[in-house]
Amino acid sequence: MQRRSFLKGLAATSAGLAVSNGIGSMTKKAYAKKEKKDFGEVKSIKVECVSETSWFDNATLGKDIKAAGGINTNQYDVAYNEENLGGYAAVVEVEALDGKITKYLLDSGWSNDWMDYVFAQSGVDKMLENKEIDTIVISHDHIDHYFGIESTLKHQPDIKMYFPSTSMKKSYELLKGADFSKTPGCPKNAYPHTGELIVTKPDTLYKLQDGAGVVFFDSPATLQVRGENVMYFKVKDKGYVTVTGCCHPGILTLINYARRNFKDGEENYGCYGGLHISPFENWDPKMDDIIAGVQQYNMKKIACNHCTGWIWAEKAVKAGLPIVKGTDKFRSYRKVGTLAKANTSNIYTGNGDTVVF
Amino acid sequence: MNTLNADKNWLSLRNLFPRWGIWTSGLVNLTVMAISAIALWWIFFSNSGIFKLYTPLLGFSLVIWMLLIIMWQVEFFDYWPFSSRFLAASHPLKKGGILTGTTILLYLVLIFGILFFIIGQYGVTYFNWNSLTEYGKLGQDVMSTRETTSWAFICLSVPFLWITTILLVGVGKGIWDQSPQPGQGLANWLLMAMLSIPLFLIFFHPHIGSMFYPAQIYTAVPPWWQSLAHTDSAEYGLGILFCTVIVIFITLQLWEGRPWNLVEKQPLRFLFILFGGLVLGFAFFKVQLYIMDYFWDEAYLGGQNDANFGWRYSHTVTMGNFILVPAIILKTCFGQGFSKMKLWFKGIVTTCIAIIAGLVFAWCYYAWAPTLLGVCSGVSHPSENPSAFLVLLIVLLNIQDYFMDGWPGYLVKVQGAEK
Repeated sequence: MQRRSFLKGLAATSAGLAVSNGIGSMTKKAYAKKEKKDFGEVKSIKVECVSETSWFDNATLGKDIKAAGGINTNQYDVAYNEENLGGYAAVVEVEALDGKITKYLLDSGWSNDWMDYVFAQSGVDKMLENKEIDTIVISHDHIDHYFGIESTLKHQPDIKMYFPSTSMKKSYELLKGADFSKTPGCPKNAYPHTGELIVTKPDTLYKLQDGAGVVFFDSPATLQVRGENVMYFKVKDKGYVTVTGCCHPGILTLINYARRNFKDGEENYGCYGGLHISPFENWDPKMDDIIAGVQQYNMKKIACNHCTGWIWAEKAVKAGLPIVKGTDKFRSYRKVGTLAKANTSNIYTGNGDTVVF
Repeated sequence: MNTLNADKNWLSLRNLFPRWGIWTSGLVNLTVMAISAIALWWIFFSNSGIFKLYTPLLGFSLVIWMLLIIMWQVEFFDYWPFSSRFLAASHPLKKGGILTGTTILLYLVLIFGILFFIIGQYGVTYFNWNSLTEYGKLGQDVMSTRETTSWAFICLSVPFLWITTILLVGVGKGIWDQSPQPGQGLANWLLMAMLSIPLFLIFFHPHIGSMFYPAQIYTAVPPWWQSLAHTDSAEYGLGILFCTVIVIFITLQLWEGRPWNLVEKQPLRFLFILFGGLVLGFAFFKVQLYIMDYFWDEAYLGGQNDANFGWRYSHTVTMGNFILVPAIILKTCFGQGFSKMKLWFKGIVTTCIAIIAGLVFAWCYYAWAPTLLGVCSGVSHPSENPSAFLVLLIVLLNIQDYFMDGWPGYLVKVQGAEK
């Protein structure tokens, strides 16, 4: 409201500005007229964090990327310290209104060694082999979400896959069985994908089942990667839940997308995943804006981890946001991250934890 | 015999004439400048180059400070220690090399010698990325600290750029006009620095103090502009001040300094450019924000990428620079082609050309720069900053004009030089 009044005041001072002052309300009216999509409802969803530790030491990864030329270097040109690699993946278990359970895999991590280990810990390897999971959503082709694709395909090469249209050329080649492992930390895939490939594009809702869908956002990311698939769910009597890999479009973008495009889109219940705010624990005042922005929506459950940044999560808790605390389960895994304070606060939904929406 | 008045400013002594006709000479200069820019980009800035300075903020801070130093060398110090006699006698390539070398040397002394090594090590932590890494602990890894320090360099440059511009246009040589160089330049420079440093502390230091966890509230107040700007980011002040400088630069290039030079009496002239420039800059800033609202819908608190208030404020600067580059090209490469037009008509025609050319340039940049410069695709990329390349172009145009007398397209003839 304050901004509106401020803009109105300005507009009164100049005829030119007064003309353009109508623009904001024009866009709002346009959205009001837009038909809102109704893609059904689910009874509940349960998300298991297979792994959120994409790498174990920020400084080591930062050094590798800096040596290769910085944050905008092509991700396939960076030599990574292989001891530092982990990966990101989650299993989303959807209970339909009739009680039927369907499982989806989100992402396939980075290091095959680590992903094989965490897949065994969560039983994902068996779920893939017996086709309990028959669909994988690749959120985006970043190192830590996609380079470990072999760990999935070796169990089920014909898995149905949602894949961002903006993925790098080499990422498409990797899917077909390419080997880039000459460069330390870069991927190989000895199991070419043979299943249905759905290449996602903007402005389309890809319906997974009633109450569940994938939306592609053409948002920029680091290391020359673009675009991200986001999973949207509408949980009966609760509202919308987003499940993300990195959330490069921004959590407020996802909330606003639902508000503008989905029936009852203003009912935001919760989110799971990386929120890509301060992955390297470096801070910027803009990140405080995100806390203030999320506070404006009445979210009930925020289960964040991975690239969210421990600082943001801790500040969000202090600001009263409903951050879901994790358990100590991640400590039983063979490796944990080096950020000591984050490891003792359980502020992330950690490896092996589950959250129900 | 050379009767050249060695005490007079070189710019007031030289006359430039096109070597092959205005349009051909201008096109040759433009081509030479564009090829140099792309070559320099790949050598010094690109991630695939040798020096990899486009991090992106380190590269941006380098070019913005080089631009400032060139302005000081030319306008405050009248090329001192190089005499007009030396500038008249030297081949453009020779003096261009020497003067640019001096700019780089001054940059190294001021930014790395004084700011980085002395102030950053013994005074203000954020001016030295090694100090940040050493003391900062959480989140202060080598990649992040380099960007934080480079951001601080950029923030410091903005009030310096604004005050330099309004002093040059609003005061000129009005104070200490009888003093010889370098005393006159030094006095003007110290006045500019004295006015700029408090502005940096007010408009930018609160942002940098909030870049750490916990926020450094006992040394920097929390961002005070939040309710106005809808963000804690100092990009609000940066956008307004930078847009002000861009608009004033455009008037200098295309309107022969109108309207500022219509007022001659002091301090009215100074006050006119101070407040008039801000009003014009603020209008330029706001109109761009409305255009962005139209194309991308309204930004919202906490939005990311193109929905972020801070990014939009910075993008006004980017778009302003896209327009400023053709404006400078029109003046330096093709200016004489419009010299027969009445001023008001010339101003309107060239401003329209600059705006259209700037928009076309922006479209070309976003479409082709990923291939030509190796940058990431997309308009609102969080770790891209097209202004780095645009200010590099402005620096090269200034070097070509001020340090090389428009070589190779233009020939210089000097008033008072008789052979």
